Amino acid sequence: MKENGQNNLSTELLTRLNEIGEAEIVVGIPSYNNARTIGHVVRAVNAGLAKYFPERKSVIVNSDGGSNDNTREAVLSAELDADSVLFVAHPVRLVSRISTPYHGIPGKGSAFRTIFSVAKHLNAKACVVVDSDLRSITPQWVELLAKPILERDLDFIAPYYLRHKYDGTITNSIIYPITRSLFGRRVRQPIGGEFGLSGRLAAHYLEKEVWGTDVARFGIDIWMTVTAIAEGFKVAQAYLGAKLHDAKDPGSDLTSMFRQVVGSVFGLMETYSSVWQSMNGSQPVPMFGFPFEVGVEPISVNVDRMVKTYRQGISDLREIFQGFLSPQTFHDLTACAERSGEDFRVPDLLWVHMIYEFAAAYHHKLLDRDHLMQSLVPLYLGRTASFVLEVKESNAFEVEQRIEELCSVFEAERPYLDHHWSDTSRKEKNYARAN
Amino acid sequence: MPGLIEKAFIEPFDRLAQQLALVVPALIIVLVILIVGGAVAYVARRLTYRLLVTTHFDRLMIQTGVASTIDRARVFRSPSDFGARLVQGVLWMFIILLALSATNAQMTQDLVVRFVNYVPDILTATLVLLLGSVVSKFLARSALLAAVNAHWSGARLIAGGVRLLVMSLAVVIALEQLRIGRTALLVSFGILFGGVVLGGAIAFGFVARDLARDWVQSILKSRASEDEEVFRHL
Repeated sequence: MKENGQNNLSTELLTRLNEIGEAEIVVGIPSYNNARTIGHVVRAVNAGLAKYFPERKSVIVNSDGGSNDNTREAVLSAELDADSVLFVAHPVRLVSRISTPYHGIPGKGSAFRTIFSVAKHLNAKACVVVDSDLRSITPQWVELLAKPILERDLDFIAPYYLRHKYDGTITNSIIYPITRSLFGRRVRQPIGGEFGLSGRLAAHYLEKEVWGTDVARFGIDIWMTVTAIAEGFKVAQAYLGAKLHDAKDPGSDLTSMFRQVVGSVFGLMETYSSVWQSMNGSQPVPMFGFPFEVGVEPISVNVDRMVKTYRQGISDLREIFQGFLSPQTFHDLTACAERSGEDFRVPDLLWVHMIYEFAAAYHHKLLDRDHLMQSLVPLYLGRTASFVLEVKESNAFEVEQRIEELCSVFEAERPYLDHHWSDTSRKEKNYARAN
Repeated sequence: MPGLIEKAFIEPFDRLAQQLALVVPALIIVLVILIVGGAVAYVARRLTYRLLVTTHFDRLMIQTGVASTIDRARVFRSPSDFGARLVQGVLWMFIILLALSATNAQMTQDLVVRFVNYVPDILTATLVLLLGSVVSKFLARSALLAAVNAHWSGARLIAGGVRLLVMSLAVVIALEQLRIGRTALLVSFGILFGGVVLGGAIAFGFVARDLARDWVQSILKSRASEDEEVFRHL
């Protein structure tokens, strides 16, 4: 597939886009080996466009990462007008990158980039992206994500789901509280996977020089959300009900996923440090859609293994932690490791201090950043185990209250972050005193 | 009588005076070189120290993990102090060589020439050891983190092994560069390395076969339980 030299679209795709001319709505579906679910997603999107936007010219773009399970055939076999579906390939493996090198590194972010490029080329007013592994998507999702953009002149619509209390723990324990406490907007699912965005915001994203970084992988969701908030675009949420999707993202493991997502957040803290340093507290964002109760899938969690990993991390990585964590924080983390069984807890205040110290260590480059992120994984698993034990008997409302409490601690402890962020490291300070 | 006095006292004094006339200027030059050189080395240390502190050398050393090695020696206040004293030490080495060559004696001249010829090897060996230290620390830390996140119980042992292996390689290369016990060293290293690998294999596969079986079973079990788990983090 030949690529156009001025953007990341192939010549064949550009020819097809030129035939289409313009479109008001572009719905993008990034995929990689999602043959089992993508047909349903395409049908739901098509039905949503037909039902809620029958007069608007729309295009569905499937940006595929080189699937080998007939994902693209599944899209083709979905019952809809084939002329309105475009297939765009982006590589996932390095060999594929060679054949289409312009698409950059393999990952969801690269797929999004192609979708945004299509939206820009078609001069779309609204661009909606939905995951291809969804089992709970309904046609109304398209309306909820696109309508506020088209009719309310908003720029960014984040999803709001009901999830199982053990689901999305990186979001609940790190991403949401940090986004909220630093950038002042309560976007509950900043890395939800489904988004609606205005054409101007999609074009704005394309101008950023981030497509060779972790943003091109799992970091894309948080990057989009934080960029939209920090750069003053109009942000809202849409209530989508439950999110049910395939259990695992093929080829992804926790450590690399964690590194890409949390590393992207820490990176964004550096990019927008002047923004968050002048901000205090947080405000809710407008919510579209009608909240309703839904059943969610049960999730099994192996708490013992998480606690074991936490203890091993504290024991085996102590020299690493002592290099950048404050003595008090490390002491408290060690004390937590000594608590056993149902009593195992990592308290909110300790967790918040620890995350802020990690962010400051990332900023001051006190350790190789990859190593820093990897060393956070066992501690995160410990905190997750603590959370699971704590909310074992709680209902969804109580769990949400619990997450709100954690967010309050993150907001209240902002001075702690400010102090560590502007301060040099403890070890460096010791040297300075000795010097 | 006057002849005797001249032979017994005046001539030896003359000879001593002549010898002193030859040695004293050289000694004065040596002293001047040592005093001036010492002062220059001191000033260089102070300047280097300021420069290193200003350029956040300590932070760089913390990041690369070298700081903890320097700390372990318990001699230097900080990596900057170490760097500054290293510069001072190198300068002192050249000052002493300069002072020795100023004596103009054949033996010292030979010593100076031999030492100067050896300096590139010493510098290369030092560089190899420093590089080996940084690389071994980095690789050991990578192995440690990967092992912990893979739930391997012998994570520190693995990291220690990686560090030992890389540092051993660096030491062998450095000693080879210094031309110290070349053949014996290479043979010893080969025997040692081969022995470690063979011993490890025998211990793990034969003597500790139960351990090996348990370990493999635990891995399979852990993978199976991971597959069963539908926990989503994002």
